[in-house]
Amino acid sequence: MFITDIRKDFYEVIANQRVALLVAADIDALCACKILQALFHCDQIQYTLVPVTGWQDLGTAFLEHKEQFRYFVLINCGANVDLLEMLQPDDDSIFFICDTHRPVDVVNVYNDTQIKLLIKQDDDLGVPSYDDIFRDEEDEDGDDSGNESDEGSEPSGKRRRYDEGAVERRIERQRARREWEARRREILFDYEQYEYHGTSAAIMFFELAWVLTKDTKDMLWWAIIGLTDQWVHDKITHMKYVTDIATMQRHVSRHNHRNEDEENSLSIDCMRISFEYDLRLTLYQHWSLYESICNSCYTSCSFKLWTLNGQKKLQEFLADMGLPLKQVRQKFNSMDMSIKENLREVLEESSNKYGMKDIRIQTFGVHFGFKNRFLAGDMVHAAAALLENTEKEESDTDNFIKALESLSRSNLDRLHSGIDLAKKKLMAVQQTVASCICTNLILSQGPFLYCYLMEGTPDVRLFSKPMALTLLSKYLLKAFVHSTRNKRCKLLPLIMAAPKDVEKGTVIVVGIPPESETSDKKNFFGRAFEKAAESTTSRTLHDNFDTSIIELKSEDRSKFLDALITLLS
Amino acid sequence: MAENAGLENHRIKSFKNKGRDVETMRRHRNEVTVELRKNKRDEHLLKKRNVPQEESLEDSDVDSDFKGQNVTLDAILQNATSDNVVIQLSAVQAARKLLSSDRNPPIDDLIKSGILPILVKCLERDDNPSLQFEAAWALTNIASGTSAQTQAVVKSNAVPLFLRLLHSPHQNVCEQAVWALGNIIGDGPQCRDYVISLGVVKPLLSFINPSIPITFLRNVTWVIVNLCRNKDPPPPMETVQEILPALCVLIYHTDINILVDTVWALSYLTDGGNEQIQMVIDSGVVPFLVPLLSHQEVKVQTAALRAVGNIVTGTDEQTQVVLNCDVLSHFPNLLTHPKEKINKEAVWFLSNITAGNQQQVQAVIDAGLIPMIIHQLAKGDFGTQKEAAWAISNLTISGRKDQVEFLVEQNVIPPFCNLLSVKDSQVVQVVLDGLKNILIMAVDEASTIAEIIEECGGLEKIENLQQHENEDIYKLAFEIIDQYFSGDDIDEDPSLIPETTQGGTFNFDPASNMQTKEFNF
Repeated sequence: MFITDIRKDFYEVIANQRVALLVAADIDALCACKILQALFHCDQIQYTLVPVTGWQDLGTAFLEHKEQFRYFVLINCGANVDLLEMLQPDDDSIFFICDTHRPVDVVNVYNDTQIKLLIKQDDDLGVPSYDDIFRDEEDEDGDDSGNESDEGSEPSGKRRRYDEGAVERRIERQRARREWEARRREILFDYEQYEYHGTSAAIMFFELAWVLTKDTKDMLWWAIIGLTDQWVHDKITHMKYVTDIATMQRHVSRHNHRNEDEENSLSIDCMRISFEYDLRLTLYQHWSLYESICNSCYTSCSFKLWTLNGQKKLQEFLADMGLPLKQVRQKFNSMDMSIKENLREVLEESSNKYGMKDIRIQTFGVHFGFKNRFLAGDMVHAAAALLENTEKEESDTDNFIKALESLSRSNLDRLHSGIDLAKKKLMAVQQTVASCICTNLILSQGPFLYCYLMEGTPDVRLFSKPMALTLLSKYLLKAFVHSTRNKRCKLLPLIMAAPKDVEKGTVIVVGIPPESETSDKKNFFGRAFEKAAESTTSRTLHDNFDTSIIELKSEDRSKFLDALITLLS
Repeated sequence: MAENAGLENHRIKSFKNKGRDVETMRRHRNEVTVELRKNKRDEHLLKKRNVPQEESLEDSDVDSDFKGQNVTLDAILQNATSDNVVIQLSAVQAARKLLSSDRNPPIDDLIKSGILPILVKCLERDDNPSLQFEAAWALTNIASGTSAQTQAVVKSNAVPLFLRLLHSPHQNVCEQAVWALGNIIGDGPQCRDYVISLGVVKPLLSFINPSIPITFLRNVTWVIVNLCRNKDPPPPMETVQEILPALCVLIYHTDINILVDTVWALSYLTDGGNEQIQMVIDSGVVPFLVPLLSHQEVKVQTAALRAVGNIVTGTDEQTQVVLNCDVLSHFPNLLTHPKEKINKEAVWFLSNITAGNQQQVQAVIDAGLIPMIIHQLAKGDFGTQKEAAWAISNLTISGRKDQVEFLVEQNVIPPFCNLLSVKDSQVVQVVLDGLKNILIMAVDEASTIAEIIEECGGLEKIENLQQHENEDIYKLAFEIIDQYFSGDDIDEDPSLIPETTQGGTFNFDPASNMQTKEFNF
């Protein structure tokens, strides 16, 4: 069931309890987790934090903790399956689910006792009404009358004599029932067909903190990062982003206003959040302007930097701005103050000439003391790079903890190491995009585009991780849409596969929706993957919380794809 | 024959650790586990259904029904005692209609309203057969409910009146009375024996004649099924004796419903112990029962398989009666039947034949059924595999050396060993027993058998079973390993196998032993 009063029905319920916190591996979940941890700290609520990377993980975590815990809080996992069916919990386990995954499973919505959804109902949920999908069992008794079909059952001990009318009515009812079931299937099909994301989990918990009047600037910053994660990883529509940014902006003003009387209060250990209309250049404040332009999706695609012509255009662009190459190529921090002062305006003006009308985006920045300034988007990239770090053989849990640390302002070293990793990752993405486009690795399969990264491709290990591969897919599809002349192909979704585990002979497969300005970001690949795997008995593992990300045995790849093509044509 | 069986018994009992005697080898169908599994499932369904509104909705639904009915219920009650024949009849009819429409018949409300004595009184009205008919119908449907509801009808003293109505000149009244009595008999052994004691059997059987309409005869047959049902206690001997000739007639009937019910009645009788099995055999029905195993209707096959299956849970002689009817010729089809349930019961049947004497074991072999049993052992669904494990294991106990050898030649060991990794500890024990018997029977070739077990991964499984929580299983596993799998370096070289002496003890030559070890290092 949906919780309407998050304070009363969630926070006060767990206030004096021990809580198991099961957190998925995405940045929004980490931010939500940080907010909740801060609240728990504040109210001395005992909790155990368990990172979970997939369904199997979640199952194991539950089994390990079900004896000691009654209350489970699930962040960004659990909403889109029938959780009770999957975990088979005892009657007294209670699950609080704060998850952006949509659609929410109908059993979760209508279970009153064990499933409590911390999900905003004003999100466009479209849950089918109870009567359309559930029906009292009474009618199933009627089925028993048809026991002629169950050949070989023993004769019944007692028999009721029906009148003629009743027999007819029963036939009529069975017909109605079949119709109802057909309609139910249709309704559920429509409801479950597309996967998409709702309001950030971090925002949900920030609003809880706000209702409790325990919200701090740190919490607000995490909520902003959570929302920004949804934008960076392209999970929500532009409209949704802008709306939620506006909400966050109101909170920012409120917090800044609160401190106004302590004038010039900006001190070393102080934090200031500001709304910015900043450049869509990733990590430019921690890089050189040149490298940032080269490795940002927006600019790279607009210039088509993978072509010679594109490189030439970039030079022209820099000249147009009147920026000396020497300045542009050195660290942003070391650029002349005079250039930096009106850089945004200069850049925007030239960008307009080069057809990049959206070079600026509404976002937020933060100052930690005087020296450190970060943009929300850069924080997301840094944390994501740490979370899916493939450089060292470290466990998922270690990576999780490091990513979590990078979000605290007390651990700026961690954040900087994350920024370094993020740069490498973005360069790898950019190079892979360029090589895929230049060597025509993107194939049109009819109903979708398909690209397979072969074993041995540079940085292929990096893309065995779900977030990195998704990011690559999104950048690649944007680049492809900019480069292809085939109008039909511009409208197609993309499936991308990369080696996952060479020893096991598995690949990771992601499917993303078509690229367009007005995209509703709804993804139908989850269902399609399930069906294709079923019909071909391909050996697949649907373990990711995003149903559009699966693992597959390499040998089964071609029959799986064939089935997908047939299914979607 | 009897002497022979006695000898067999003795031989079986003389096995070391054979674990089972004939009593436990012949097994009745294991219904308990099925029941448990089903309950568990229901429970789970319930758990999932703690979805909200459902109940409240349901309640309000019933409430509104309630109010609507209460008004009419009062009226019915009042009018049912009216002196006006027309009013009375329509009131009783209204009550009957309430009970025979399909949704939630208000049985308890009607009982509470006190309508039972009124309806029972109507049964006496020989002047008004329509009224008798409607009242009997209403009472039939009340008795079709829960046990408490049936008891309410019995307590209102309706049974003697129904028995009286069996002699009514109006057939619809007779038929309705039969139906009502069927529901009462079907409630359980107490009610059954009460109705029998009032003399239901003779008039009931008298309806079986060529002129009776088919629907009526179906009802009569169904009541006979209920008379044969329930074994705690089973129906009185005299009743069984009275009924059996009728069943011998009905088994010729061409109507499928009647045939199916007749065969089920026989399957209930044969489920009531060896004495009842003997009565069924003596009735001479078995030669007509066995061919039904190849009937085109699955319903008939299922019931017939159950009935013959129950007979072979009896003594070796009783089993032989069934075998003499060429029963095994039907089994190739039953073992390859598309319905898993039939495969399972067929293997269960055969497991009770392989638990018999050596001629009976040989009959199974001669009918070419061993490869098919092994196929089910390897590929059947779990219930069938389990039965197949019993069939094989039983054969290793009752079979001769050459019969067990035949089993091994048919490559039984790999699929047999496969079952050692299942969770069901009964199956594991049965398989271990069987393997141990095969090894014992093999005598000199035990090492060959051991090799096969090792090659198919069975040894590894047996080794793991030494950690099993069930004491019997780990002891068995330990014994097998200890006796057949330790120091196989000695067994491999025939010249080094210690000579056996007449007494069955081994002569060890410590010197040669030492030598072997040195060579191996």
